[in-house]
Amino acid sequence: MPREVTLKVGVGKNLKERIVEIPDNAPRPWDGSDDLKYVGKRVPRVDGRDKTSGRAKFTFDIQLPGMLHAKFLRSKYPAAVIRKIDTSKAIKYPGVKAILSVQDKLPLIVRFAGQEILAVAAETAHQAAEALKLIEVTYDVRKFVVDKDLAKEKNAPTVFNTQVEEKLTEGDLPGEHSEVTQKGNVRGPNISPKDATPEKIDAALASSFAVVEATYRTQVQTHSAMETHGVVVDWTAEDKLKCWASTQAVFAVRDELAGSFKLPKSNVRIITKHMGGGFGAKFGVGIYGVMAAKLAREAKAPVRLMLDRKEEHLCVGNRPDSVQSLKIGADNDGKLTGIKLISYGTAGTGTGAGTSGPAKNIYEYDHFYSEESDVFTNAGPGAAFRAPGHPQGAFALEQAIDELAYKLKIDPLEFRKINTPNNEIRQAQLKIAAEKSGWARRNPNPGADKGPIKRGIGIANSVWYYFYGRNFQVSTQVNNDGTVKVTNGVQDLGTGITTVIVTIAAEELGLKPSDIQVSIGDSEYGYGPASGGSVTTGGLSPAVRDSAYAAKMKMFEIAAPMLETTADKLAAADGKIFIKENPDKSLSWKQVAKKIPGDNFIAIGERKEDYHKLDIGTIHGVQIIEVAVDTETGVVKAERVYAVHDCGRPMDLLTTESQINGGIIQGISYALFEDRILDRNTGIMVNSNMEQYKIAGALDTPEIESVVLNVHYGQSSTGAIGIGEPATVATAGAVGNAIFHATGVRVRELPMTPDKVLIALEAMKGASS
Amino acid sequence: MLTFYLNQNKIATSLHHGTVLLDFVRRESRLPGTKEGCREGDCGACTVLLGEIADEEIKYRAVNSCLLPIGSLAGKHVVTIEGLNLRENTLLQNAFVDEHASQCGFCTPGFILSLTDFLLNNPTLNFEEAILAVAGNICRCTGYESIKRAIKLLLTEVESRIELSLDKRVPELVRTGQLPEYFNTIPQKLARLEFDVEPENPGKIVAGGTDLFVQQADKLLKQPLQFIDDGQQSREIYRENDQCIVGASATMEEVRKTPVFREILPEIDTYSKLIASKPIRERATLAGNIVNASPIADFVILLLALEAKLILQIGSASRTVDLHNFYLGYKKLDLQEDEHIHNISIPIPNPGFKFNFEKVSRRTHLDIASVNTAAFFAVEENKITDARISAGGVAPIPLLLKNTNAFLQDKIIDPAIVESAMKIAAEEISPISDVRGSAEYKRRLLQQFIFAHFHTQFPELIGAEVLA
Repeated sequence: MPREVTLKVGVGKNLKERIVEIPDNAPRPWDGSDDLKYVGKRVPRVDGRDKTSGRAKFTFDIQLPGMLHAKFLRSKYPAAVIRKIDTSKAIKYPGVKAILSVQDKLPLIVRFAGQEILAVAAETAHQAAEALKLIEVTYDVRKFVVDKDLAKEKNAPTVFNTQVEEKLTEGDLPGEHSEVTQKGNVRGPNISPKDATPEKIDAALASSFAVVEATYRTQVQTHSAMETHGVVVDWTAEDKLKCWASTQAVFAVRDELAGSFKLPKSNVRIITKHMGGGFGAKFGVGIYGVMAAKLAREAKAPVRLMLDRKEEHLCVGNRPDSVQSLKIGADNDGKLTGIKLISYGTAGTGTGAGTSGPAKNIYEYDHFYSEESDVFTNAGPGAAFRAPGHPQGAFALEQAIDELAYKLKIDPLEFRKINTPNNEIRQAQLKIAAEKSGWARRNPNPGADKGPIKRGIGIANSVWYYFYGRNFQVSTQVNNDGTVKVTNGVQDLGTGITTVIVTIAAEELGLKPSDIQVSIGDSEYGYGPASGGSVTTGGLSPAVRDSAYAAKMKMFEIAAPMLETTADKLAAADGKIFIKENPDKSLSWKQVAKKIPGDNFIAIGERKEDYHKLDIGTIHGVQIIEVAVDTETGVVKAERVYAVHDCGRPMDLLTTESQINGGIIQGISYALFEDRILDRNTGIMVNSNMEQYKIAGALDTPEIESVVLNVHYGQSSTGAIGIGEPATVATAGAVGNAIFHATGVRVRELPMTPDKVLIALEAMKGASS
Repeated sequence: MLTFYLNQNKIATSLHHGTVLLDFVRRESRLPGTKEGCREGDCGACTVLLGEIADEEIKYRAVNSCLLPIGSLAGKHVVTIEGLNLRENTLLQNAFVDEHASQCGFCTPGFILSLTDFLLNNPTLNFEEAILAVAGNICRCTGYESIKRAIKLLLTEVESRIELSLDKRVPELVRTGQLPEYFNTIPQKLARLEFDVEPENPGKIVAGGTDLFVQQADKLLKQPLQFIDDGQQSREIYRENDQCIVGASATMEEVRKTPVFREILPEIDTYSKLIASKPIRERATLAGNIVNASPIADFVILLLALEAKLILQIGSASRTVDLHNFYLGYKKLDLQEDEHIHNISIPIPNPGFKFNFEKVSRRTHLDIASVNTAAFFAVEENKITDARISAGGVAPIPLLLKNTNAFLQDKIIDPAIVESAMKIAAEEISPISDVRGSAEYKRRLLQQFIFAHFHTQFPELIGAEVLA
């Protein structure tokens, strides 16, 4: 029987009442009137002790008796046909137990340098590496292309001769599957809206008061998680597989392995207790997982196959690059009229170079047209990477918006307000960001600083979407000694879902976070979400709360006769169960637990459909960044960041803020440092290490002030929404805008390295003299 | 048998001496807390502490275990994360927990070790120095904001609990629970340790190994190695008449701390921050930086401007070569087979000289320069009596700008001569376009740096407006 509850919903303290229908056995959703003890506060990481003491065991650390070490032989050429592989010497090398090709039959077509050819399992990693050197591969080397502009040309070598099926993972945007044509190396264009033609947008822009048009380029970024991709596989019986995997999706890995080896799902167990980062690249089992399982079966021994840093850069995913030609216009009152985006990029042998998300979903205007294409090149495949397509799109869009604002002589922050009039959340965020950063004090004229070091301040908007998944199963077990354990299959890739689970359960049960044990990261537990697309917290947290709530109700049933009352009159807090009207009449949690029949009980919570659709389906963010530009050397330093984001109701502020701060710093790293460089003459990555593929360090990080704007929707029992993606969307665009404000020069290409900045400055000098 | 201490345990091993410590602790000792992130010394996930007795006191330093051959460990003490917390977390670890400074946690042990080194060794325990201590540690979750908060919390806690004097840090940290008690017994244990590494002579000479083990770790496992970093003599740095003599296996950090070298380069602490990370500088030697012959080797650029000479040896025969004549072409050296650097001799300049170092790289810290340059000036009443400007990243070899320097000789410093020097410098270099920037950019950058040398050293003569 559903029941109606009246909730306080809205943005920040601006709340109004909303009637929401919820199931009878569900708790009243947390809303704006609830001040909770742990939820939304700063609860330290529950796995912090294990991680700081080195006791946390990652897949990388798993050692099994008799375990073999496997390594791939990878193509040294970017394009080739392999017709012959001679392993006769390698198989005799001491310690070698199995050698298997990735493809049963030759020829094997190689499409990028680093593509897997075969794998060797040996008693030590060193033996496997040495054996690889003894394998003779006969390459029929083909012409290749790694430059996306050359790849678009008519006579370019084609990467694929057949139509490419788009493969999406849980990190990609749902519904982005595109039915488009493929010609040569170009897959597309994907035109949006579906029935649109360029004429209409061109006419709209032509009649606009002001128009800006420019081309922006973004680079390929590799995920570079600290723990590389990999698995440890153990066949515990002929038809039973146990696999430790560094993955963002234990259930997807289980399904893929079960499928590959035609095993029942119940015979495959995936374990991910601690996981060293993924950022979107670790959804499936990967060819490494399948090969490790094959080698283990062949050698009849457990096999460890972890990639090395170079393989990580080459083969298991990256953020595709882009070239975006963007034309936008506005009326003389500053209202945007339309956006036209022509975009292409390469995800190597993969797809997913679209960039139109921000252009479509941040501002309010009438006319839109976009063409997006994937260009195939002989390079490692792209993969979902923290807000796929969005940092790229926002880098272009947010600079164009800025440029248009300057052209119209409208304050860039004000311009953003004018063009998001119906988005209450964004309006609130822009206001907070302006106050925090002292935006009003900023010099309106770009390049105003005297001296070689020039400072500037830039702003950019962020956007992402609310996804949450369904049918997750969380169980709360209460033992008769009062201990509580919450269990779900979900993996924690470092973002902190373990702590979120503890926080919610403690809140609901009236216990302390330290009273709650959590078991996660195992496909034999209840179904949990894949960690991607900012789904995990919004998806799982209501099931956690509902499960804890059900457990609490059972405890109330047990306690009711003890307190001579009925269950509906009881409440739980501070380790006690008491009568709401008369809190002095109470029992300790443990006293009640003692009366649990048998040993324990388990209460299940299931993630169901939200109670209602959100009025605004997007999640937002505003970032304001201050930079210092050394105009003598071109060096840019991000000095200070003010970030305002929303994620419904935050569950644990420490993890939420860490997601925001991490998103910003990763964004700065993307804006200033990171760049996968392929040698166009050899097709080989020249910086496949951490020496020359540069990632931001502690000294490169700005001071960050982040604000989480509470937004209460009452859409689920927790009201939580994810935050991982939106935190990194705005940053590069804001840095670009800050560089412009500092110097008067636009740098339209990522990464904004000293050479590009200095050349842009020189070009301006040349133009003005 | 090679013997050393790993945490509280005595180790005796007959494994090949070229086995890197990271593999040893993870595979042989089954201590998985030390992580592997890059195997090239660029991420810090594998950081451990290396302790050794010097001047009757044990000194620890943070090093990258992925580049440290076990052959260098004889008689020393290695500390991994497992050796830091035998029972309870330390203040440092608690600060990381409380401030959410560990996210995925894969990098965390490395950060903890780097900061333990900071607590053990830094004369001043302040925030800036602490951040520098983790400059070589990469966190890809980019949790640096929380790590900074944890460091601030740690410093507050440490200030109220720990006696800060530099000597006897180990017992003090043990007393306050920041190190386990077994640390106090290590010096005696090391003294009792019988170790005689039979020098595998003739073997490939290995000192710091920070470049060798990046380039050829596999090959080094197949040949005899001769470790010279243990010879106290070859690590000595001392004054001899008007020269500072640096032994072939003296590390960058050892050189930095030596008074006689600090007399030559009082600003070495500032420059050091731009050169590698601390764990690398703790192992990397000046001689290694010289023979590696990278055209952008930071320390070589400093030494070129300081007019360093090399004393080379084969057997008992020795000869002296000017550093700037040592480089014959890209990675080509005036060094015969079996010849090696015995030591480096740096003239101690007369007081009143001016020195400046400039470097630009994508990241400010722990990155390879696009261009680097050093300048030494001796000046009498605004007249240059000696100019030695060097530059890296602008030619196949680390370059002394001979034409520019000759031009500057006996000139009175004014904006016109600086402009001329910038032009001459641009003409005598031959940069190439690569991942660190285009040839044009490097040429432009060097010119800006030449200006910066004068502007920073003679601001009253060369104002900022010259460049505009």
